[in-house]
Amino acid sequence: MNATPGQEPVKSFLPKWVRGPQDFIGGVALMAIALFALWASSDLQGMRGFSFGAGTAPRMFGFLLLGLGAAVALVGVFTEGAHLAKYHWRGPLFVSLAILSFAFTIRPMGMIFAAMASFVIAACGTPETRWVETLIVGACLTAFCALLFPYALGLPLQLLPTFLIR
Amino acid sequence: MGDIFSNLGLGFGVVFQFVQWTPAFLGGASIPIPVNILLCLIGALVGTLVGVLPGIGTIATVAMLLPITFGLPPVGALIMLAGIYYGAQYGGSTTSILVNIPGEAGSVVTALDGFQMAKKGRAGPALAIAAIGSFFAGCVATVLIALLGAPLTKLALAFGPAEYFSLMVLGLIFAVVLAKGSVLKAIAMIVFGLLLSMVGSDIETGASRMAFNIPELADGLGFATVAMGLFGFAEIIRNLDAGGETDRKLVQEKVTGLMPTRKDLKDSAPAILRGTVLGSLLGILPGGGAVIASFAAYTLEKKISKNPSQFGHGVIQGVAAPESANNAAAQTSFIPLLTLGIPPNAVMALMVGAMTIHGIVPGPQVMQKQPELVWGMIASMWVGNLMLLIINLPLVGIWVRLLRVPYRLMFPAIVVFCSIGIYSVNNAPTDVMLAGAFGLVGYWLIKHDFEPAPLLLGMVLGPLMEENLRRALLISRGDWSVFLTRPLSAVLMAIAAGLLVLAVLPSLRKKRDEVFVESEN
Repeated sequence: MNATPGQEPVKSFLPKWVRGPQDFIGGVALMAIALFALWASSDLQGMRGFSFGAGTAPRMFGFLLLGLGAAVALVGVFTEGAHLAKYHWRGPLFVSLAILSFAFTIRPMGMIFAAMASFVIAACGTPETRWVETLIVGACLTAFCALLFPYALGLPLQLLPTFLIR
Repeated sequence: MGDIFSNLGLGFGVVFQFVQWTPAFLGGASIPIPVNILLCLIGALVGTLVGVLPGIGTIATVAMLLPITFGLPPVGALIMLAGIYYGAQYGGSTTSILVNIPGEAGSVVTALDGFQMAKKGRAGPALAIAAIGSFFAGCVATVLIALLGAPLTKLALAFGPAEYFSLMVLGLIFAVVLAKGSVLKAIAMIVFGLLLSMVGSDIETGASRMAFNIPELADGLGFATVAMGLFGFAEIIRNLDAGGETDRKLVQEKVTGLMPTRKDLKDSAPAILRGTVLGSLLGILPGGGAVIASFAAYTLEKKISKNPSQFGHGVIQGVAAPESANNAAAQTSFIPLLTLGIPPNAVMALMVGAMTIHGIVPGPQVMQKQPELVWGMIASMWVGNLMLLIINLPLVGIWVRLLRVPYRLMFPAIVVFCSIGIYSVNNAPTDVMLAGAFGLVGYWLIKHDFEPAPLLLGMVLGPLMEENLRRALLISRGDWSVFLTRPLSAVLMAIAAGLLVLAVLPSLRKKRDEVFVESEN
């Protein structure tokens, strides 16, 4: 397995004995997730005699993932593997912001505002964006969604801001 | 035999149902409208529309379009979903052939020879053969489902909790063995999915598990939410990395001469036949499904061809065989879902999600209690295939134009569309945020070469596995050997163990990797 195509590897900050940083970090992160899950399910009841408690299955899968994560990390230590792929900040940041803005504005501001705002924020995710074009397409898409979801599909979506409706 | 015909008849009856529409402006006159056919048609069109966008695979398409079926009655919704699914698959092959960007693993193989054909100006025949092959495979698979559906339902009655658990283990192992890349990492992803499925309420005691007192989590992580995050948002973020425009080498020649020549048809007929048989068989296996079928069919064609060196330079068999196999497998993978209630792959897992949203629990009971739903869906698959053949082919020009829409305009639209979709499932803003979080998780997974598809499968099978494991152990009074002492369960477990051993054996691993590497270069 080589690095994901189209992405140049970045310099590793890991010690030399880690031969496959991609697997190593991946495995360690899985272990962290497993430990978190084990902690989160620690308040649940375990086995009662031979019958499962609420916490048995989560703990079982948690330990399994812990073991598998360790195995993946060990593979990363002992075998030559891919370097860490380069992360870009712009795309993930603005797409996340767009999603967050949608989540926060849909209730108070209604769908028209939320969709348009989220479209514009997401468009910041690439330097190729041309603003006039983006605004026109955004407006068209918002109009399309405003017709499609509540009217054509009959989903209960509020279009306008709450303060305008009252 | 009579059963089969009556079942299929019932199915087609449902699909061709007419509803009398009495609009006011006609003054009382009513027009019969084939509602389900229309839904199937719309589904196929919308599915192609989204599936044709580069970098968006079948799973992402179905996940994204899931919300538009919510407002419909269950039968209509499932028929539309079947249409969306086939549309998405067809859209995927269109992008593979025209742009060389396969949206998902299943159409990687199609891109090999399909794109070469397109470069030679033979995109039309390639697309046509893909559709014709798919249609033929769809016809055969529909009959196969009708043949096998009822007997397998009877088999399901012999299944106790122990057998169900073993079968699911087998399915997951299959998914691992047939997945691309590291076996270990695929297993880790499945277990991650199983762990995620534990969030929510315990089925027996009702205790809240890992929900952190967040009300939206009390019911568990929404399946559509996770799928849209992992496949929709993550794909968008990843494609932004690549710089959007750089890797799109769209075939600039005009797509002309859609019809394949007589020689094309003669060359591809046996390939379609072989692909169909291979695909139908592989589709029934749990965990197999479309991906491996297309790889296997391509490899087979190459093996038995008189001049294998031609493959990869635009031979029509290289398009016909994997496309037929892909479609046959996609269709027959409904068999384990409908008869045993076990989704064999991620797309079927999404179908389960859709069914549960409509209050249907897939499994042998559905076949007996709601036959019109099951057979209607099976018939609609066939109709969906036909739609693709007669409607989508002439529309190829439009799909090509759609490919020219720049990514900078497309991706914000997808973000908005997905957000509205997720929100409309439960009217919950938290779901949207969760999907965003899973988008970042998915991006991270891609960066570390973890496959998200096994995770999704694990997530769907998690609750089923836990329930059956608990029940099996309760019946056996805590005796774990029950999985090995009950003969049917023991056989399933033995196959699973054998497969796992085979998968890690160096010689077979090498061969398996070869198939995938070959297809990548």
